[in-house]
Amino acid sequence: MMGPVQILVVGFERPTFSGEVLTQLARLGEAGVVRLVDLLLVSRSHDGTLETLAAPTQLGAELGGLATALLGQPEGTAGDRPAGADPESAEVTTWSLADAVPPGSAAAVALIEHLWATPLRSAIQRAGGRPLEETWLAPNDVARLEDLITRRSI
Amino acid sequence: MLLVPRQLLRAGMTGDVPYYGGRLSPAQAYAASHPSARPPGSGRVADTTRAEVGDPRAATSRAVSPTPPTGNQEDVLLSLQHLLGAGVITPEEYTGLRARLGA
Repeated sequence: MMGPVQILVVGFERPTFSGEVLTQLARLGEAGVVRLVDLLLVSRSHDGTLETLAAPTQLGAELGGLATALLGQPEGTAGDRPAGADPESAEVTTWSLADAVPPGSAAAVALIEHLWATPLRSAIQRAGGRPLEETWLAPNDVARLEDLITRRSI
Repeated sequence: MLLVPRQLLRAGMTGDVPYYGGRLSPAQAYAASHPSARPPGSGRVADTTRAEVGDPRAATSRAVSPTPPTGNQEDVLLSLQHLLGAGVITPEEYTGLRARLGA
């Protein structure tokens, strides 16, 4: 069973990629922390149309296929309710790449499996815990936290 | 290649995290159902939403109109009933909010 998979969408003004981010992801993959499942490059024109871009040749021609199949749908099909959505639930919220990528820009879309989180998620489920909130600290709050840690260690 | 984006469910790392987008969070519902927190006759109210997250801007207060909102009371009641049915507000909060409408 796969671990939690994060979708990271990073915008770029121009679709040029140095490979530095991939190097870091590869390092974390070797350490068993995360696994880069797939990487898709997309551009969005000013009229809102999304197009996939060819991955740099050194990254492999097969890159982006999984993400395209997961995040896209065959042309001409209706935008159905997402699979697994409870039709009675008022709390269902959805998103799509169209919400994330502004017109006139390019983005890298990474599917990242968090290998480290699998045992934690299983432990939470076994303990009967249910998620109430999950977010990231804003940079200012991270700085505040760092300050608190520093003060405590003095 | 053209990509027609598919709608996907939002989820958290450890599972489906409840999302209150566009609706009252439990804390906001609590604040709305406790009008006594407002200084009587002041016409100003503390920004409880900011206070909940420790935002220093909560120290300031914002002007609010002392005039109760006008609108179709029936619609408001229907909205309250929807919030109650969806579990956003408790029966006690529902009763309190309904009492404020004079219903």
